Amino acid sequence: MELFHASPWVPVEWIKAHGLEPRGLWYADELNLGPTRSSAGTCAFAQAVVRFAETHPEKPVLLTTHCDQLRRGFDTLADSVPGRAFLLNLPTAWQSPVAERLYDCELDRLSRFLVALGGYLPTAEALGKTIDAYARARGALLAQAEICPARGYAEAIARFHWEGPPASMTEECAAPDSVVRLALVGGPLPRAQWHLIEVIEKAGARVVLNGTEAGERSLWTGGSVEHQANPDADSVSSMRLWLARNYVRNCMDMFQRPNTRLYAWLKERLAARAIQGIVLWHYVACDLWRAEAQSLREAFGLPLLLLDAGDAPQASARDNGRVEAFVESLR
Amino acid sequence: MKPRKLTLVEWDQHYEELVAAGLHEPAYGGRLSRHLALEGDLRLRQLRFDNSPAALRLWNFLLTENQRLGEARASGERIVGTMKDLGTVPVMVYALSGLRAFYPDGAWWTPCLMECSDGLLRQAEAAGIDASFCPVRAMLAAFQNQEHFPIPDLLVCSTGSVCDDFSAISQRLERMGFPITWWEMPRRRAPEAHEAACPLPGGLTAPQCQVDCVREELGRIAELLGQLAGQALTSELLAEGIRQANQVRRRLGELRQTVYSCVGAPLPALEMLVAEMLAIHFCSDRAQALQVLTDLLEEAVARTKLDQFVIGEAATRIYWVNPVADLRAMNLLEDWGGRICGSDYMFTHALDPIPEDLPPLEALARTALADPMVGSTQDRARRIVADCRACNAEAVVVSRIPGASHSAWEGASLRSIISRELDLPTIELEIPSVCDAMLPTLAGRIQALIETSRARRAAVST
Repeated sequence: MELFHASPWVPVEWIKAHGLEPRGLWYADELNLGPTRSSAGTCAFAQAVVRFAETHPEKPVLLTTHCDQLRRGFDTLADSVPGRAFLLNLPTAWQSPVAERLYDCELDRLSRFLVALGGYLPTAEALGKTIDAYARARGALLAQAEICPARGYAEAIARFHWEGPPASMTEECAAPDSVVRLALVGGPLPRAQWHLIEVIEKAGARVVLNGTEAGERSLWTGGSVEHQANPDADSVSSMRLWLARNYVRNCMDMFQRPNTRLYAWLKERLAARAIQGIVLWHYVACDLWRAEAQSLREAFGLPLLLLDAGDAPQASARDNGRVEAFVESLR
Repeated sequence: MKPRKLTLVEWDQHYEELVAAGLHEPAYGGRLSRHLALEGDLRLRQLRFDNSPAALRLWNFLLTENQRLGEARASGERIVGTMKDLGTVPVMVYALSGLRAFYPDGAWWTPCLMECSDGLLRQAEAAGIDASFCPVRAMLAAFQNQEHFPIPDLLVCSTGSVCDDFSAISQRLERMGFPITWWEMPRRRAPEAHEAACPLPGGLTAPQCQVDCVREELGRIAELLGQLAGQALTSELLAEGIRQANQVRRRLGELRQTVYSCVGAPLPALEMLVAEMLAIHFCSDRAQALQVLTDLLEEAVARTKLDQFVIGEAATRIYWVNPVADLRAMNLLEDWGGRICGSDYMFTHALDPIPEDLPPLEALARTALADPMVGSTQDRARRIVADCRACNAEAVVVSRIPGASHSAWEGASLRSIISRELDLPTIELEIPSVCDAMLPTLAGRIQALIETSRARRAAVST
């Protein structure tokens, strides 16, 4: 059975070890970003996720609390897909001592949901192997970050979030030379919107850092579970706690408070990859990302292009023009 | 003195008469018009105010908050900004002497009061927070220009299951150089079968593990407050703080019961909205907040006994959901034939007494988790439905907050649940900070609602 989700901070190892297939919706053909809901102020991505759950009631979904849009979108599902939808509480105050405990409690609760869906309780050995397999796959993908073409890299990560390990590259890893080096930063960039990368490349730039939701920053590496300094390392509850700790400690996203960890992650890579400009990709009505535009400019002193992701399947002529002008100005 | 609503100019004349008759006022008393002259509160010219001395005191209390905060600072008190906090940390702050809680989010009404002459929204836009965000973005600019309130000595802000607008704006604030201590508020959920369930105020429940986390977070904040005050926040002090806060909550409860259950309205909707707001942060003075509410209650009781109402019994009984960014909307509702008979201004949990028979931090944690905005829309709707039944509401208005991330999803869901459960006419509308340009639209929607309700009332009575 598959379990569909839309956050890289969902514990996919835990789901997989319960015998279910975690599927990151960024790669789903059925994620329809077209407009339906009339209420103004709703995010097209959250709408698409909710619509997916509504139109596929046989497919269980897992949403997270990290933004208002998805959290409240979940509320609209409660009656329509009873027992098939799960809301995972992602802690935001990561410096708080309760964050890891909250996440661990959620893993415990998620376990019962997975068993109710037909999964089974994992053995310590199976869980350990699953954790390590995911760690290896993330590591392999991370190693390709600087040498892969951006479109192929986005696809490889999305496929990993869809299929799980091992990670595979779909294209030969040889990034094109280009004058302008850009970071693409922001919220979810599902398959239907990868054309943005092509638009950027056609304009003469190269995305050398994919900092979108399911991009490079979703590839956390917490080391091997075998190396944890815990005498009960082989028990499932101990591994669960390890997993919770690692997700909380390695999560870097804009919703965290403070969001300094993401800024530190960006700072290191923007400098190391000699990035000349930032394209900030955000959905209309996504306050969490939109509010950061000015802070990103101030923090890194780089030109920033704010691109609104709407509900259109293709980049608009306006977006094309803005990207072209942005790249041109950086040459 | 018969109840009626006065313009600002009429209030000045009325004020002279009251003073001549021996009006006794607190230190923050005086003519209402001085707030226009000295602070540029232009919106006061458009508002209609209740003519009671109790209402005068309420308005003066509200409109002098920043001056009172300045005086407190000058006298050596430390100010704690309690952000995205609808009634939890202020209770802790006031349990310690020398500390004063302040609610910076309240700056969202400044553009309304000053009819945007403050420039706060424009300034927020220049700081990267544009009109796609809720009017609480005014707070950001108020911190920046430091003209509207003293900068608090400590800023604490709840995060987690809170609205994205505020979360994003407060993060921007921190990046602009105002350090914030964040505390986690999980999204409240119902306990599952195997979990220890914990009763919350308002008839809700949550798993004990969530209550434990919130209690631990509040304990962390308590330590910080103790350091700031130079005095530990002991259980005894906090228990007394809760007892005092409950006095305010109970007084407000009596006031709401008196006004909303009456056949006519002994006090106007606008004054009731402001009075309700006192429950969450005491408008920076807990003792005075209690006195203000006591005066209003006495006035409402006296008027009720005399069958004297500011809005008559013919008015349609409307239950109002969410606070309005423009205070004038409350006047307009009454002008168009409605009256408020019940409300959920997003902090119904602050209307319920905090349990006094529990360890104080546990009691506060349970109360914080009962916040309607941290749980599901269904939970919130359940309380609204029960309230509407209890107060014999004839119609419901779900008022959207412009740009607010929660309103887009929640409004439609609330409307749908309320319509299904109650068979009451329900509309959703949006009130910007200055709603004058939208008057025809607002009038059309509210009058249509009222006409529908009247037709239903007439059908029932025949």
